[in-house]
Amino acid sequence: MINLTIVWIAIPLLLGFIISLTPKLGKYLALFGSLISVIYSLQILFNNINLSFQLLDNFGVTFRVDSLSGYFILTNAIVTTAVIIYCWQQEKTAFFYGQIILLHTSLNSAFITTDFITLYVALEVIGMIAFTLIVYPRTDRSLWIGLRYLFISSIVMLFYLGGSILVYKANNSFYFEGLKNSPPEAFVLIFLGLLVKGGIFISGLWLPLTHAESESPVSALLSGIVVKASILPLIRCAEISEDIDFIIRLLGVGTAILGVFYALLEKDIKRMFAFSTISQLGFILASPSVGGFYALTHGLAKCTLFLTAGYLPTRNLSELKKNGINTSIWIPLSLASISMIGFPFFSSFEAKVLTIDNLLSWQVIPMNIVAIGTTIYFFQLILLPHKSEKDRKISFNLLLAVTLLIFMLLSTNIIYYEAYILINIIKALIIVLLGFLFYRFILRKIVINVPRILEEFDNIVGFLTLMCILLYGVLLMVNSPLL
Amino acid sequence: MVLEVFILLTIMCGFFGVIFKENLIMKTISMDIMSTGVATYFVLVASRHGLFTPILTEKIVNYADPVPQAVILTAIVIGFSTLALILVTIMKLAKNNPTLETREIEKNNT
Repeated sequence: MINLTIVWIAIPLLLGFIISLTPKLGKYLALFGSLISVIYSLQILFNNINLSFQLLDNFGVTFRVDSLSGYFILTNAIVTTAVIIYCWQQEKTAFFYGQIILLHTSLNSAFITTDFITLYVALEVIGMIAFTLIVYPRTDRSLWIGLRYLFISSIVMLFYLGGSILVYKANNSFYFEGLKNSPPEAFVLIFLGLLVKGGIFISGLWLPLTHAESESPVSALLSGIVVKASILPLIRCAEISEDIDFIIRLLGVGTAILGVFYALLEKDIKRMFAFSTISQLGFILASPSVGGFYALTHGLAKCTLFLTAGYLPTRNLSELKKNGINTSIWIPLSLASISMIGFPFFSSFEAKVLTIDNLLSWQVIPMNIVAIGTTIYFFQLILLPHKSEKDRKISFNLLLAVTLLIFMLLSTNIIYYEAYILINIIKALIIVLLGFLFYRFILRKIVINVPRILEEFDNIVGFLTLMCILLYGVLLMVNSPLL
Repeated sequence: MVLEVFILLTIMCGFFGVIFKENLIMKTISMDIMSTGVATYFVLVASRHGLFTPILTEKIVNYADPVPQAVILTAIVIGFSTLALILVTIMKLAKNNPTLETREIEKNNT
């Protein structure tokens, strides 16, 4: 299995370079690479493999493959496959496919590593490739969005690097476990890096603009899987000690509330999806021990939403409500929305039940409110007026990609079918009903424009200092001898 | 301790440069100063037990820790390639935004 893992990481890397040599085979090779990952991750999940190993000597690279990383790898594989299928007929160059497959494998290596330096290298590579994908259209706008992303991520990775050397100083190793014996500065710096890269809480305000302004397939990749590269390490850190677990749960609740608040007031459909990503990342972190399954269902549904949004006539929600959309686009859009709100029959329902069952008592009320909030803003999409237009045909590739994603959303129901008991179904239906009522009688009537000043570049960099102070504060609160 | 304070000052200098400088090139240089500070800290940590090159000799000496040095070498290479990407993008942006002021570019492109 160890050899298999190494081969599985190495093959897509090689494919990435072969694609540059044989541009015509680009999309076939990329598809092949992502299908290998599908098989590998299913192998892990079905056989319940739990494997740790180290390459080279004492200070070598360490890996851990278990069901948690299995969920993330499966998400990565399916999202990448769907995006490649979506782009099949578009005139993308071989460079684009090469970047996608390199992104795929560097994400995989970020998911299985357990030391800070390998993670650092993986995250930096992911940041750079995401940058090249964002600036692929080469317009001024895309260049600026990409530059902003690269700038912020390289600044926070410098902080992260400072934190990891503090861990080394205390433990003589870079393993995640070392965080327990390290000084608080190490914790603050490393978490600052991971939280900003993952788009958590106020430091995640760079995310909406980046995800909304990129092309649809790139947005789908970014929202579906790239942000999760630093969520998995956070989950692994939560396993180390109870204090860290508490802090991550706290940040999770804060993120979920922040994201839902913005998403409710947003009038641009792609920005709404991006804010919804922030709020759903909060859900993953709110109960880190079972976050893998939630990440899987969220990644699939969000990828469907972003891919479909590429075929909408406009991004303005109020125009869409007035003019209506084509039924063949409305169907995948509303199916993915129903999945996002955790309606029974979709595996998101199981993931939500699993998450809510594992919450601590103080988290239950805010997270249920967030669940209702999610329902409210997704009802906007489900209730969009729609009519079938014969002349405007939907692209076959979109159909194929979306079918794959929704099929996976339905078939992953086998993971935790114990969730289907009467009380859970009634709870989910009550949340949906409350969301519908709130939407029908309240949200439709209010129009508030939220200023975007907080999303300016300087302010986002400034937020890093705030985030530092916040993390120190929380750490002091947790370790305080008075409590 | 004194050295650590200087390193912290370097990093802070770079960080506040990124926030307060208007021009994109100045921001990039500030970021590079930050990364210099971090790299220096790695070197300082590596030398905490000794300064000699870690090569096996007959005399027993206090040698520097090679692990942080190896790691920071990787990080410097990564930082260098990121810098290259950033500078190319700035060159492209400079065609339509010759002043390279972030506020202006932001106003035109968001």
